[in-house]
Amino acid sequence: MSAEISRIYLLDAATGGAVEAELRDAIEAENLNDWQTKWQPALLGVLQGLARKGVPQAQWPQSWHWNWQEKTARVSGLLAYKGFSIVALGETQGLAQIDLTKSARILGEAGKPIVYIDYLEAAPWNRPELGGSARLRGVGTALITAAVFLSLEEGFKGRIGLHSLPQADTFYRDRCGMTDLGPDPDCQNLRYFEFTPGQAGTFLEE
Amino acid sequence: MIIDRSKEWWLARAAREGNAAVSAGLLAIDPVAETHSATEQPVSAEENRIAFGKFVNLMRRQQGYSIEKLADEADLDASEVLVIEDDVHYLPEPRTVYKLAQIFKVPQGKLMELAGLVVANDDDLRREAVRFAARSESMERLTSAESEALAAFVAVLSKRDGKAGN
Amino acid sequence: MKRTMTLNLTELEMRVLDALSLRKDLSKTAVLRQALRLYQTVDARVEKGDKLLFENEQTKEKAELMLL
Repeated sequence: MSAEISRIYLLDAATGGAVEAELRDAIEAENLNDWQTKWQPALLGVLQGLARKGVPQAQWPQSWHWNWQEKTARVSGLLAYKGFSIVALGETQGLAQIDLTKSARILGEAGKPIVYIDYLEAAPWNRPELGGSARLRGVGTALITAAVFLSLEEGFKGRIGLHSLPQADTFYRDRCGMTDLGPDPDCQNLRYFEFTPGQAGTFLEE
Repeated sequence: MIIDRSKEWWLARAAREGNAAVSAGLLAIDPVAETHSATEQPVSAEENRIAFGKFVNLMRRQQGYSIEKLADEADLDASEVLVIEDDVHYLPEPRTVYKLAQIFKVPQGKLMELAGLVVANDDDLRREAVRFAARSESMERLTSAESEALAAFVAVLSKRDGKAGN
Repeated sequence: MKRTMTLNLTELEMRVLDALSLRKDLSKTAVLRQALRLYQTVDARVEKGDKLLFENEQTKEKAELMLL
């Protein structure tokens, strides 16, 4: 079974021009290969650069050695886990992994199923927080949009949830309009965010 | 799942994202920078091994070998060649690296460093290795860019080996 | 591509499906799809040798759900 492909558009951050891209409703071998041979070395390069500029030497902890191949193999064939990938300019620009077994926490929605985003990341060269100039804009928004559409398709009415990394809190709170349910002690104190059906509807209309 | 929206719709959303960071989930956490005492060596075997796997992959393809053929030529197990190319955590046996160095006609010492068998103490080699890994892709045939990257890296390997005297 | 099948449920099963559909704010089809998903996930874990445990947060009392 191969992925279904939606035609989407991203922005070239330097020129402001449109960049055609594919939103695929799966993470496939090609994406895993990009992650390993392009994302990892690029991130490594940036972090080494930071280390040379006086930031303490980086030590790569176990969590970073986490291996996509392994993880994807573990959940492959399971109905509860899905993935999204964005491909543009011949390479993977963003990835998201979805878990469909989780429930909403927000008051009034608690216990109802959600599309939980287990992992969402843009390619290192699209991440402005790494200090360089990001190449493409809209990767994160497109992945969140895909999660909301999946939630609608599954009959979850647009409910989604995720744990944001600290630097992305304002994106999920202010630009997406998700409800901030505060730090989650069960998830290294990352802040937990959720869309109610109403908020998801507003997000798609904007 | 197909999402059918106009180009304008997508572009407006991309524009609104602006310069925002978007990472979510524990798995998206970057490696943490930790302070080391001056006597400690930075951990860097990982990046060398990424380059080692890519190097074996590209050299093999440049010579037109299948994994099986290379294994045959070097008297190795095909499964080991496969793991070397695919798994950065795999530590090959010294004999394996020795055989590969012979087949590829590159200095054994530097290849040992690259494979993570010998503690690398060479920042330039490390930088070159990362540069090399980042430039190469795993496609069926070598692109001209890959051939170039490979040639440049072989030159660095050979030159540095001579200088270091091993 | 989706396929259609007819399900024969007892009166009681139908009432449970209705109740879940209401409580979870899902269509009956979505409830069944979610049930299939969860059953498959749990089964895969148990096959691997994991145990399915419920723990009461207050009493810390644990109960194992046997799926054999």
